[in-house]
Amino acid sequence: AAGTPPPASGAAPASRPAVSRPLQVGKGELRRIAVPANRYTPLKENWMKIFTPIVEHLQLQIRFNLKTRNVEIKTCQETKDLSALTKAADFVKAFILGFQVEDALALIRLDDLFLESFEVTDVKPLKGDHLSRAIGRIAGKGGKTKFTIENVTRTRIVLADTKVHILGSFQNIKMARTAICNLILGNPPSKVYGNIRAVASRAAERF
Amino acid sequence: GIQGIQGIQTCLRVAGAAAARPECFLSVQDGLAADFRAMTKTLYDLNKGSNIVRGGPLKELVIENFDEEQIWQQLELQNNAVLDFFKESIARDAKDEDLCLLSDQEEDGSDAETSSDKELEDNIMEAEAEQKNVYTKDKDKTKAKEKQSKLRENIIQKYSDEDSDVDFDIEALEQQAKTAKETTWKKTGRKSVVDDKFFKLSEMEAFLEHAEKENEEEEDDINYFEDIISDDEEEDSEQAKAKPIKSSRDMTYKDFFDPVDDDDDLVANDVEDDEEEEADSAIEEQNEESMSEFEDMNEMVEHMRSKEASKKVTFSLPDDSETEDVTEMQLEKGMDPGEIKSSFEKRQEKMSKRIKSLEEALLEEKPWQLKGEVTGQKRPENSLLEETVLFDHAVRMAPVITEETTFQLEDIIKQRILDEAWDDVVPKEKPKEEAFEYKKRITLDHEKSKLSLAEIYEQEYMKLHQQKTEEEENPEHKEIQEMMDSLFQKLDALCNFHFTPKPPVPEVKIVSNLPAISMEEVAPVAVSDAALLAPEEIKEKNKAGDVKTDAEKTPTDKKREQRRKKLRKRMRRREKEKRQKLLEKMKPEQGIKLSKKAAAAKLKRLAKEGKASLLKDEGKDKALKSSQAFFSQLQDQVKMQIKDASKLKKKQKTEKAFSVQKLKL
Repeated sequence: AAGTPPPASGAAPASRPAVSRPLQVGKGELRRIAVPANRYTPLKENWMKIFTPIVEHLQLQIRFNLKTRNVEIKTCQETKDLSALTKAADFVKAFILGFQVEDALALIRLDDLFLESFEVTDVKPLKGDHLSRAIGRIAGKGGKTKFTIENVTRTRIVLADTKVHILGSFQNIKMARTAICNLILGNPPSKVYGNIRAVASRAAERF
Repeated sequence: GIQGIQGIQTCLRVAGAAAARPECFLSVQDGLAADFRAMTKTLYDLNKGSNIVRGGPLKELVIENFDEEQIWQQLELQNNAVLDFFKESIARDAKDEDLCLLSDQEEDGSDAETSSDKELEDNIMEAEAEQKNVYTKDKDKTKAKEKQSKLRENIIQKYSDEDSDVDFDIEALEQQAKTAKETTWKKTGRKSVVDDKFFKLSEMEAFLEHAEKENEEEEDDINYFEDIISDDEEEDSEQAKAKPIKSSRDMTYKDFFDPVDDDDDLVANDVEDDEEEEADSAIEEQNEESMSEFEDMNEMVEHMRSKEASKKVTFSLPDDSETEDVTEMQLEKGMDPGEIKSSFEKRQEKMSKRIKSLEEALLEEKPWQLKGEVTGQKRPENSLLEETVLFDHAVRMAPVITEETTFQLEDIIKQRILDEAWDDVVPKEKPKEEAFEYKKRITLDHEKSKLSLAEIYEQEYMKLHQQKTEEEENPEHKEIQEMMDSLFQKLDALCNFHFTPKPPVPEVKIVSNLPAISMEEVAPVAVSDAALLAPEEIKEKNKAGDVKTDAEKTPTDKKREQRRKKLRKRMRRREKEKRQKLLEKMKPEQGIKLSKKAAAAKLKRLAKEGKASLLKDEGKDKALKSSQAFFSQLQDQVKMQIKDASKLKKKQKTEKAFSVQKLKL
């Protein structure tokens, strides 16, 4: 078999000096995020706010494929960070789920924010009126309960029919999830307030 | 008859030859084995020939192509059958007193001699077997001795079985050893200095003599009644003499050695030996020949005694050094009972007594306390009450109060008092958290937050990182400020002559006199209404109660008011007068000034009372202003004079009328 002949005794194998190249992301990695019809208009309205941070800060390429109704994000040569693509994808996904652009932007800026989704029926099998009442309890009058939970636990909640999406740090997601589950299970809002207040104060004291 | 004797002779010869060269037995000797087997068969057949005893079912011993084990079993069959017969016969003979040939000192009349030679001849194995089963150190001693004597008489037929070779030899040896011992004891019966539990000098002597004799007599006819100790058992004999040897497989320490207790054993042995001696006096007759030889041996042995002494094995027991002395003494104790005993002797006596009693106690049945699980039926009534029983308590026992414990406690108390280490209960204060403060910690905002999530986290981050720096500055500043204040105050005190301390800063508490209702409307929870003025502070309350109009007043109210008014006036007047008098006394000039007023007042008072009348000055002094007024006044004056005059006249007339009347009288 042909191979490189062994070097002369004592001499190191002849080779070209190594070229120092910056760690580059593989060119042309693509992420696609589907856009449902109800989010089409909000996407159009907030397009500028969406694509600016992605393009300028994360150095990615983004486009909306009209035919497939997908938002496509691609890496390019200028991309420096490997995780930028994931972050951008998460950001767009959060917006599509229903979060505000400013809230979703936190995903890009902070590393340890997560997005959790679950269904109301996961917590307790409800049907018909009971389900509607449960959703109403979560929301509260004018969204009061939902805002209260958001404020105390420093998260953002999106309530889309039977789906609940929570955006925030890990501990806070847990707190908010517990609160929402309690509401689904039937606890009155005042009780839930008391609980989350206690938990949040304890958490605040610790840090 | 003759055939039988011949057969036996051949057997003896063979056996003797084999025994003469004991080293052969170390290896397998097939020729010798075959010889022995043949011997066995001849003997067995001889037995069967004589019809004195009913034996087993087999007519003859079959040895061709038979295993040792099979031959043995055949023999066993024969033996078992005859065993009972022999037992009976012995028992019968034992009871029969006429047959006693031994001396009266015997414990029981042994009939060793009476049993016929034939019987004994026939069944050597049975005797041995019996001996094996029956022989123990303590029980059935005499029976065993009978057997021994039988065996001695019929001497040797050694069985060929290689397995049982050792057994048999040892058994034979055992009996022979016993007999040898007995004979020596009988003859010599003396204890030497070198004797101990292993070695008996006289025994050794006896053995040596016997061996010598054996060597001499091997060519001659075999002496039936003589002991023959095979050469290879010489060593064992010394050691094994004292002990019964059952079989090589069953031998234990105690077969070789006496129990550890030296003295008693020796004593016991001696006692035993004495007994044996007595029991076997019958043998004496038969063994007289051999005795002489033994005596010769003794002299030889004495030479060896010194050597023996050095080789003697001693146990490191307390009384070891004195064993020989003891034995001698003990021997002599029987002889001189009247002698005074030394303290050591007495001690030893006591020890031996005690040991004996302990042994007896051990042999007895154990008391119920040591019997493991004992129910109520197995022990005497109420026996457990006398016992102190140990068992685990599940519950902690109450402490027993004794004087000592009380003293201990008192000491502790005194020490505590001196140390002033009271165990006072420190009142716990519940940390009271007002609901307000608790609520203040986290206010629930029910509205959509104006800040986005990113901004919230941003703020938090900033707060975290800035908080540290702020906290570091402020406390230091505060401290510095406080220290400066105190310092300056002290310096001022030192420098200034007329030191005027700073006025204490009054604590200003704002008390707003607003109507309470306005406060309650807007006030937060924390503000209390203690800061407001009370209504009484605004206007003083009437003592009587409500304020009444004249129409509402009752008569009593009116009267009350009148009384109060009068009282007040009286008081005022009196005070005034006092002041006046005082003033007149002190300052008369001022008194004159005031006297006009006082005189006028006095006049008025008098006029009222009627003591003084005032001359009316009816306007004469009045300044006449107008003429009309003058003339009118003049007219009036005249009219008045006329009226007066007329009034006088009327009065005079009336007065006169009255006098006339008086005159008429």
